[in-house]
Amino acid sequence: MPAEKTGKILVVGGGMSGITAALEAAEVGYEVILIEKNPYLGGRVTQLNKYFPKLCPPNCGLEINFRRIKNNPRIKFYTLAGLEKISGSEGDFDVTIKLNPRCVNENCTACGACLEVCPVERPNDFNFGMDKTKAIYLPQDFAFPLRYVIDDKYCTKAECAKCVEVCSYEAIDLNMQAQSLSLKVGSIVWATGWTPYDATKIDDLGFGKYQNVIINMMMERLASQGGPTKGKILRPSDGKEPSRIAFVQCAGSRDENHLPYCSSVCCLASIKQATYIREQYPDAEILIFYIDIRTPARAERLYLRAQKDEKIKFIKGKVAKIEEDPSTKDLTVTAEDALTLQKIHEKVNLVVLAAGMAPNTKEWKAPAEISCDTDGFILSNTGVAGMYAAGCALKPIDVYSSVQTATAAALKTIQSLVRR
Amino acid sequence: MAEQVISPDLGFVKDIIAGGGESLKKCFQCATCSVVCNLAPDDKPFPRKEMIYAQWGLKDKLLPNPDIWLCHQCSDCTVYCPRGAKPGEVLNAVRKLAIEHYSVPNFLAKAVGKKQHLAFLFAIPTVLFLLILASLGHLNPLNVPRNEAGQISFAKFLPSLYIDGVFVPVAIFAVVCFAIGISRYWKDMKRLAGPVNKGNIWSTIIATIWEILEHKRFEKCNVTKNRKIAHFLVFYSFIGLAITTAWAVLYLYGPGIMKLFGAEPFSWMLGESPYPLTDPLKWLANASALVLLIGISLVIRDRLKNKEKVGSGGYYDWLFITIVFLVMATGILAQLFRLADIAVLAYLIYFTHLVVVFFLFAYAPFSKMAHMVYRATAMIFAKHIERES
Repeated sequence: MPAEKTGKILVVGGGMSGITAALEAAEVGYEVILIEKNPYLGGRVTQLNKYFPKLCPPNCGLEINFRRIKNNPRIKFYTLAGLEKISGSEGDFDVTIKLNPRCVNENCTACGACLEVCPVERPNDFNFGMDKTKAIYLPQDFAFPLRYVIDDKYCTKAECAKCVEVCSYEAIDLNMQAQSLSLKVGSIVWATGWTPYDATKIDDLGFGKYQNVIINMMMERLASQGGPTKGKILRPSDGKEPSRIAFVQCAGSRDENHLPYCSSVCCLASIKQATYIREQYPDAEILIFYIDIRTPARAERLYLRAQKDEKIKFIKGKVAKIEEDPSTKDLTVTAEDALTLQKIHEKVNLVVLAAGMAPNTKEWKAPAEISCDTDGFILSNTGVAGMYAAGCALKPIDVYSSVQTATAAALKTIQSLVRR
Repeated sequence: MAEQVISPDLGFVKDIIAGGGESLKKCFQCATCSVVCNLAPDDKPFPRKEMIYAQWGLKDKLLPNPDIWLCHQCSDCTVYCPRGAKPGEVLNAVRKLAIEHYSVPNFLAKAVGKKQHLAFLFAIPTVLFLLILASLGHLNPLNVPRNEAGQISFAKFLPSLYIDGVFVPVAIFAVVCFAIGISRYWKDMKRLAGPVNKGNIWSTIIATIWEILEHKRFEKCNVTKNRKIAHFLVFYSFIGLAITTAWAVLYLYGPGIMKLFGAEPFSWMLGESPYPLTDPLKWLANASALVLLIGISLVIRDRLKNKEKVGSGGYYDWLFITIVFLVMATGILAQLFRLADIAVLAYLIYFTHLVVVFFLFAYAPFSKMAHMVYRATAMIFAKHIERES
């Protein structure tokens, strides 16, 4: 007997997991509303230079997904959208969504004329503050929707309004106000994602204090064509090419003072990033300091290949001290090599901290009684009928596994709608 | 690689856990501890290797290893440990077992380390002093002894002949036990370290003593910075009290000895106590007692303050801290009640004072007090083998 299609599905979070869950459900015929807090879809994946283990860029996969969304009338998505209130129960949730003003409407063609005249700059959070954009900006090169946005924290609005004058499409509306949207949905998928752990809290590693100590996600941006250095890996303090780079594994992860769990992707991410450096600087030396290298299943091959590389040295010992030479901004990292029983002090010119993944539900409290573990990840049994979690909201996982959990969540939401 | 046979001693692992190292098994060998420790040398740093020796029960690698004493338990390692394995506390428990292992007679070492034997250890001095007082007929609260001036006099309560009759043998006992213990320890360290430097041992000893007097090592601690001042005060108050004791011996026996040689005793040699508060000996005694009060209070405060992250130590630590505190408290109170002329309380507290002083010195080779001798020995050895400069 064909299932009776009742109710809509709300997907919270428009990253890879949210997009997948939305598409899977929509492509079997369900109405889906996808909301995303950023001005673009794609989430953390859009910040990556390459995926492991295949080392291919994420853009092609994202593009396919964006096309699936465009072609599917059953998916309605909102960017710059926040969830305000949920009431009701499975099959009958009342949801209030806040739509923040973009100040740029659908007319925008991303021609860039506004950029020329905008006098205000803002730090570019997409590139972790390593460069700046104008107050009106395109969030990133592959932004979907391809439309500019105004950061109202920086824009002086009516005082300036130069962009409005110059825009020939009447795309800019500086008076755009936040709107509230009320919806009825039958089930909800939480795909709220993750944030890199705030490495400034790891006081012995100098992040935030020493310019040439960066986190792994910053390395992704440095290596990306759309990044602050147009894909050339240069150290932040002086824009010089690094010749000796240290990767510090478990920066925050597996540490009860920070994130008590293994973030599961950082070993492979660092090995992957070592290949970025090998490509750009064949003579550069790479040191990877680790507690244990975790590269399960097929990913082991990437590790074995790196082990054979004479320019990559794996050192068993966690870095617990980083000092900067103030004149050169070079860094000395200290660890005990547990295999040789020597405390070693290695001088390098760039340090990459393998910062772990913190669930966004750690800082942000969902407006629903869903159950989280002590680390802030949503439990697979959310405790509320009709609500399911997907991707890194559940646990720290790679993109491939996130997609699997998203498909599983889509199935569960469908079951929830059909079961009654 | 040459085959290496290791012999784990599971009983030893249990002993470490029982001695305050219950977090031992949480260690996953990340080596954060060896890096954050400012005292650990670059070559074979501690305490990561000690943590795995301890987990595996490798008693033979741990006990004769001077590194366990080069650690001053700053607890920087414990604070930064990502697993809550508390290396500082584990090494503290290992040090307790090292004292127990090397000290002779062993049964006393075992008794000092275990709560259930506490009553027995207190019973020895209590019974001893009660017997002496009973034989003197000084146990009747209605008829307390006073001196010719009608003052409360501890020298009348328990004449110095008896005091010295007890404490001189106690001191000799402690010194002999210490000597046997550290000679066993030195031999064992030599066995583990292999051939050693034949440099001048005396200059090494002097350098070590100087280092201890300066308390330089404590300055390298980050998290428990305050420990330096606390330990410094306790350490120097003990030196002050040791000088006081020697001084009092001079007052007591000086006149007699001078008479023996036909000389006229100096007038400042006051003879039997009590001495007036204006006498320099009393200045030193009371100043030392006050410094000890401040020092030991800081020790207690710091331990309680850092309890959550660092751990507050086990029974063995607190027994020692309590005894030191009681020695100081009973000393000060006995004097106050004597001056207030409340005889029964003054004598009762003085009696307690004698019991805890006995406890402190007679059991010093087995209690945490032994750390001063073992740590100093390990520091000398480490310099001797050029592990330390």
